[in-house]
Amino acid sequence: MDYRKLVETIPVAKREQLSNKLVDLILSSKNDEKMPSQLANTMLHHWQNDILLSESGLTALLEAAALLEPEKAIETFTALELTGIAEQIRQGATKT
Amino acid sequence: MVKFGIEFAPHEPYWKIVYYAVQAEKGGFSNLWITDHFNDRNVYVTLTAAAIYTNKITFGPGVTNPYLVNPVFTAQAIATLNELAPGRVVLGMGAGDKTTLESVGVEMQKPLIAIQEAVDIFRKITSGENVVYKGEVFKTAGAKFLFKPKGGIPVYIGAQGPKMLELAGKIGDGVLINASHPKDVEYAVNCVKEGVRQANKKIAEVDVAGYPAFSVHEDLKKATKAAVPVVSFIVASSPSVLLERHGIDVKKAEEIREALKANDWGKAFGAVTPEMIEAFSVCGTPDTCIERIAQLLKSGISQFVVGSPIGSNVREAIKLISEKIIPSFKATP
Repeated sequence: MDYRKLVETIPVAKREQLSNKLVDLILSSKNDEKMPSQLANTMLHHWQNDILLSESGLTALLEAAALLEPEKAIETFTALELTGIAEQIRQGATKT
Repeated sequence: MVKFGIEFAPHEPYWKIVYYAVQAEKGGFSNLWITDHFNDRNVYVTLTAAAIYTNKITFGPGVTNPYLVNPVFTAQAIATLNELAPGRVVLGMGAGDKTTLESVGVEMQKPLIAIQEAVDIFRKITSGENVVYKGEVFKTAGAKFLFKPKGGIPVYIGAQGPKMLELAGKIGDGVLINASHPKDVEYAVNCVKEGVRQANKKIAEVDVAGYPAFSVHEDLKKATKAAVPVVSFIVASSPSVLLERHGIDVKKAEEIREALKANDWGKAFGAVTPEMIEAFSVCGTPDTCIERIAQLLKSGISQFVVGSPIGSNVREAIKLISEKIIPSFKATP
């Protein structure tokens, strides 16, 4: 799944709300062992530098959410009417 | 102005703790404390990660003990961290928890002397000295770093009993008081003051940090629910004299202790009363917490450390503290 391409389709107006929801989802996840350290470090770098809302920041959040909590990520994108991305995550989760 | 600190236990993975540490730094916290328990992830690895992703917050183990980690190795870790983040590192040292030490076959011998000697060795070796030390608990026969450490690292002593509090006032640059109630904090601060007096220092030279269990939420029920498990463990490990000071039924505490031993969480948590929450935590809505912190400041603390659980949702709780609690103390001298 090309997460960056998916992020490019997210309207700017929805990015802040989405970012907040994804961060909550990732931090409250009990599936910590599924988080690759490189991805965690990328997320922390963006957070430290206040660029989590950038396309590269959202890409890291989307990838982490899809890895740790695919079902909840699908719900989040569906609730924000980003059904195309929700569907992509669903297909990705089915493949793995 | 009062300083705000925050505590995390590395039973959470490093990336969650670092996320919260960065959030705390952005939100106005000045100190980050990471607990040191052998059964959690390593404190220094966690602190290293936090050092890399933060820019100004002061940090250190809160607290390590000299029995499991020899003070020479603690000094090595702290001195190395102080190269990574110069001037941002402090050492928090306490005698440790007897039960935990026993579980790994380590005896907590002569805690007062052990702490005094460990701090002494730490200060000497981090000042670049070749340390020949013949203490009652620790001995070195010529210990010197092969690198040049940047000395002057502040040492905080984690203390609960009157003698340790007094020692903390005497030898510490700071003291970490594990208490929540103004009555307990006031008693502890008076003990610290006695040590300060003996050392001919001024109390203003010692950073007195109150380190209570803390839980904040806009919904009081949610704040309380998050505090209950932590309070149950505090009650279970509290001596009768402390329970009686707060009017807590010792038999109730015994019930909680037995339930925890039997891993009957429902029974243990269900037995926690509002009086126990009041005595052993700072818990409630932001306004309630502000009121309680103000009382603790009057009791003599100069740093307020937000301890576990922080809140039912840690990220939300840090946001509330940063936006509603810390700003209300900005004007406090």
